[in-house]
Amino acid sequence: MKRTYLGEFEEIVLLLVAGMDGEAYGVGITHKLNEETDRSVRLNQVHAALHRLQEKGMVASRLGDPTPERGGRRKLLFTVTAYGYRTLHDIKEMRAQLWDNVPAAPKLAFNL
Amino acid sequence: MNPRPPTPPQLADRLLAWFCAPHLLETLQGDLHEEFAYQVERIGQRRARWRYWRDVLGFVRPYVLKRNETEYTQPFFLSPEMIRNYLKIALRNLTKHKVSTLINLAGLTLGVTACLVIYLITRFELSYDTFHPDRDRIYRIAGQSKFGKNDEFRPLGFIPRAAPKAIRAEVPGLETVATFHNIETDVIIPNGREEARTIERRTMGTDPAQIVITEPEYFSIFQYEWLAGNPRTALNEPYQVVLSEDRAHLYFGDIPPDQMLGRELIYRDSIRTHVTGIVKGWHQNTDFSFTDFISFATIRASRLKQEINLDEWNDVWSSSQAFVKLSRGTTPAQVNDRLAVFSQKHFGPNRGTGDFRFIPSLQPLSDLHFNTDYQDNYSRQAHLPTLYGLMGVAVFILLIAAINFINLATARSVHRAQEVGMRKVLGSSRTILLAQFMSETFILTTLAVGVALLITQPVLLAFQSFIPKGVALSVFNPQLLLFLLALTLMTALLSGLYPAWAMSAYQPALTLKGQTALVGNQKGYLRKGLIVFQFTISLVFIVATLMVGRQLNFIRNKDLGFSTDAIVLINTLHDDKSQVLAQKIRQLSGVDGVTMQWFAPMGENYMLTKLTYQGATEIETEVSAKVGDVNFIPLYHIRLVAGRNFLPSDTLSELVINQTYARTLGFKQPAEAIGKLLKFNGRSYPIVGVVADFHENSLHARIKPAFIAYLPNMSRNLGVKLATKGQQVSDATLTLDAIEAAWQEVYPNEKFEFSFLDDSIAKIYEKEQKTSLLVNTATAIAILISCMGLFGLATFAAEQRTKEIGIRKVLGASVTSIVALLSAEFVRLVLIAVVIASPIAWYAVNQWLQDFAYKVNLDWWVFVLAGALAVGIALLTVSVQSVKAALTNPARSLRTE
Repeated sequence: MKRTYLGEFEEIVLLLVAGMDGEAYGVGITHKLNEETDRSVRLNQVHAALHRLQEKGMVASRLGDPTPERGGRRKLLFTVTAYGYRTLHDIKEMRAQLWDNVPAAPKLAFNL
Repeated sequence: MNPRPPTPPQLADRLLAWFCAPHLLETLQGDLHEEFAYQVERIGQRRARWRYWRDVLGFVRPYVLKRNETEYTQPFFLSPEMIRNYLKIALRNLTKHKVSTLINLAGLTLGVTACLVIYLITRFELSYDTFHPDRDRIYRIAGQSKFGKNDEFRPLGFIPRAAPKAIRAEVPGLETVATFHNIETDVIIPNGREEARTIERRTMGTDPAQIVITEPEYFSIFQYEWLAGNPRTALNEPYQVVLSEDRAHLYFGDIPPDQMLGRELIYRDSIRTHVTGIVKGWHQNTDFSFTDFISFATIRASRLKQEINLDEWNDVWSSSQAFVKLSRGTTPAQVNDRLAVFSQKHFGPNRGTGDFRFIPSLQPLSDLHFNTDYQDNYSRQAHLPTLYGLMGVAVFILLIAAINFINLATARSVHRAQEVGMRKVLGSSRTILLAQFMSETFILTTLAVGVALLITQPVLLAFQSFIPKGVALSVFNPQLLLFLLALTLMTALLSGLYPAWAMSAYQPALTLKGQTALVGNQKGYLRKGLIVFQFTISLVFIVATLMVGRQLNFIRNKDLGFSTDAIVLINTLHDDKSQVLAQKIRQLSGVDGVTMQWFAPMGENYMLTKLTYQGATEIETEVSAKVGDVNFIPLYHIRLVAGRNFLPSDTLSELVINQTYARTLGFKQPAEAIGKLLKFNGRSYPIVGVVADFHENSLHARIKPAFIAYLPNMSRNLGVKLATKGQQVSDATLTLDAIEAAWQEVYPNEKFEFSFLDDSIAKIYEKEQKTSLLVNTATAIAILISCMGLFGLATFAAEQRTKEIGIRKVLGASVTSIVALLSAEFVRLVLIAVVIASPIAWYAVNQWLQDFAYKVNLDWWVFVLAGALAVGIALLTVSVQSVKAALTNPARSLRTE
C-alpha cells in the first residue's frame, strides 16, 4: 500500500486539527495537545509538525482575522485537506484491522 | 485600570524578526505572544520570559529561516542584463550632472596620479638589491669610528684595509668575506697596430661606479651568470679582469663572449690586464653597478700597492668595502659580538693605531640603499623619511579626492531620493540599488585611473629633478596592474560605499511624499566633518609650504660671512703647474682676483685638525682648517674684526682664526687673541688676525672654531673672482672661455671643469630643495582638490536654496547679506580646520626645523596667514556661486511651484 508515512506526533496533530473545526492554530493546538495527552509539548514542535503536514498536503493554511489580544497579529489557521482525512481514515482502518487480530481478553502469562 | 500587560523580551523579538522569513513573522510572533501571555498567567512573568527565549531559539529551523520566493522574480544583481542597465543609468547620470562629474573626475585623477607616481618612485627605490639569492645573509661591514681621544664615535661605511683579511681569519660564523676597492680610471683598449681607444672615467656624482678591484669571493656573495671564463680561476692571478657583457661589447664590439677572453685592457695607463671572464650584468635595480672586476692580486703586483695599502690599520678610505655572507644559522648579533672582540684586539691603545678606534658591525644589505650614515663611493642613497612622507602625501591626496566624492554624492543624493523611492516601489532591492550607485563610482574611478595613466609619463618628465633616474611607467607590468586594480577598487569603495549605502537607505514611502533628508544624517554632520578634515590636511600643507619656503629663503639670503658672488672654483691636478695656471688667469682682464686654495670657505669638503693653545691652561681643540693663500680672505670678503691678514710667504708662518675659536680659547675681545701662539703639527704659529664667523657647512651645523692659513702643498685649487662691475653675462662667458684656454695651455691633455660657488653651495641643500618642491606640489594639489569640492558643494547649496534666497530678496535682503549667508557656514568650517590644523602643522614643521642649527622662528603669524589664505581661497571659491545666486531675479526662482 502506497501512502505517505505519517509519524505518531504528526498523526496526533493532524487529528487535533481535524477536531478543532477550522479554528486550529499554533497555540490552540499546543494547549489542547498538552491537556488531552498529558504531554508537555512546545510551540515550535507543533509548528514544525504543522509545517511538515502542510508540505505533505494534509493540512491547508489560511490567515485569520486580526485579533486584539495578539497585538493585532493574525493567526495562521489550519484545516485538514481531503487527503488528510483519507489518510486519517486509512490509519484508523488499518489499526482496527490489526485490533481484530488481537484476542478479546489477554491471558495471564504467569502462574501463581 | 489594568496595569500594562507584561511584554515578552524585546531582544528576543528582534532576534526573531531578524532570522524569521518575513511571510512567517506575523503569525509566528502572534503565537509566541499569545503563548507568553498564557504562560505569564500560569508560571509568572520571570519564568515566562525565560520560556519565551527558549521558544524563540527553538524556531531556528530551516523552514523558518527560508525566505519565501516572491511572486516577481528578481534578477541576480550581477547578471549581465543588470550590469548593462547599471552602466546605462550611470552614464546618463554622469553626463547629466556635468559639473560634479568633472569635479569628481578631476579630483580623483589628481589623487590617482599622485598615488601612481609615488608608487612608481617608492617601488623603484624599495626594489634596490632585493633580488640576490641569500640576500638575508649578506651584510656590509661598516662600523663606528673615532679619530681622536676626545672625538665622538661616528658611523663609517668602510673599514681599514687590513681588517677584512683578519676578520676572515678571526671571526667565526662567516661563510664568505669579500673586499673590493673601487677606483677611477680611464680604460685603454689596445688594438693591434692601430691607435688604442680610450674610454674616459666616469663623472663622479652623476655616473655610477664601474671599476672595482675585487677578491674572487665577491662572486660567491653576489651571483652573476657567467657567459665565458671559469668563475673558480678568473680572478686568482694578478692582471686578470672580468667584464660585464655590456661593457665588454663597448670595449670589443659585437663579438661572442668566448672570443673576448684573453683580450688586453689597460687601466691607470700602465696596468695591463687580460680578460678572463664575461658575466651577464643585472637588470634589476642595484647599487652594485660595477662592470670591470680587476683581480685583487693585481694590487700587490702593480704600482697600485702605493695607493692601496692593504696593511693599513689606522686609516680608512671610502672606496674600500668589505661584504660578508653569514653562515646559515648564524645571527648578526653573534657576529657583531665577535666583531666587538675583534675591535678590542686590533684597535686602540698600544695596538699601533694611535687614537684611531674602530668598532666594526654588520650593516644589512637591505639597509645599504637607505642609510645615509654610511657613505661610500658607489651607492646612491634614498632618503627613507622622504619616501614615507611621499606615501603619506599620496594617501592624503587620495583621501581628499574621495571626500569630495562623498560630499558631492551625498549632497546630490537629495535629488535622487525620488528616483530611489520609485525604484524601490517598482521592486528594486537594496543590493541592486547599491550595485547601481557603486557602478557610477566605478566608472568614474576607472576613467580617473585611465586619465592618470595617460598623464603619468608627462608628470614624471616634469618632476625629473626630483625623481630618480630609471623610474618609468611600464603599463603591462603585472605588479603595476595589480596595484592599479587595488587602487581602483580601494578608491571606488572609499568614495562610493557611504553615499551608495546612504542613498539606498531612503524609505520609499517618505521620499515619494517629498521628504528628502538623509536617514541618520539630518544635519549633514558627516559632510561638515569631512570638509573640516579636508581643510585640515590642506592647511597643514599650507603651513608647511610657508615654513619650508621661509627656511629656504633664510638659507639663501643668510649672510654666510663671506661673498659667493661670481666666484668660479677650479680643481687642478694638485701639481706645481697649478701655480702657473693661477698666474695666467690672474692676468686675464675679466678676472678680479685669484686665490690658491684647498677648497672654498663653504662646501662639501672640509678638514678638521687639532690645535693646542698654550695659555694659562693648555686647550686642545678640534678646529676646522681653511687653507688658502694671502688672497683668500680678501677674495671671499671675509671680514677681519681684529688684527690683519697673514703676510705673503712661501710657507706656513701665521694663522688667522675665527671669532668662535677666539671665544673658545677664552678671549672676551677678539683683539686679545692677536699675537698668541697656537701649536699645529708640533710647531707654534702666531695668531695675526681674527675674522668674523662664517659658515663652512650647511646651516644644519653650528659654526665651529676655524682657522685660515697658507699651507703651500695643499693650496692647489683655484678660486677665481670674475669682474662684475660694468660687466654683462656675455662678458663672463668670454672670461670663462679665456680661463679654459689658459687651462689647455697648462694641462693640454686634461678636461677643463669648473663650478660656480653659488651652485656648489646650492647643492648642499639639494635635499631641502626637493622637500620644498614636494611640499609645494602637495599643497597645490590638496588646495585644488579641496576647493573643487567646496565649489561643488557651494553650487549645490546655492541651487538648493534658490527659493529661500528669492523670498529673502523679496523681503528686502541685500546681495551682501545673502552672500554672507551662503558663505558663513563654509568659512566657519574652514576656521574649525584652522584650529585643528595649527598644532599638527606646528609639530610637523618643528620636527623638520630641528635639523637646522640656524633656522627661522615658527611665528604665530604664519598660522594666521595660512588660515587667512585658506579662508580667502574658500571664500573666493564659494562666492562665485553665492554671488550668482544672490543676483538671480527672485521673480524667476519663485515663479515655479
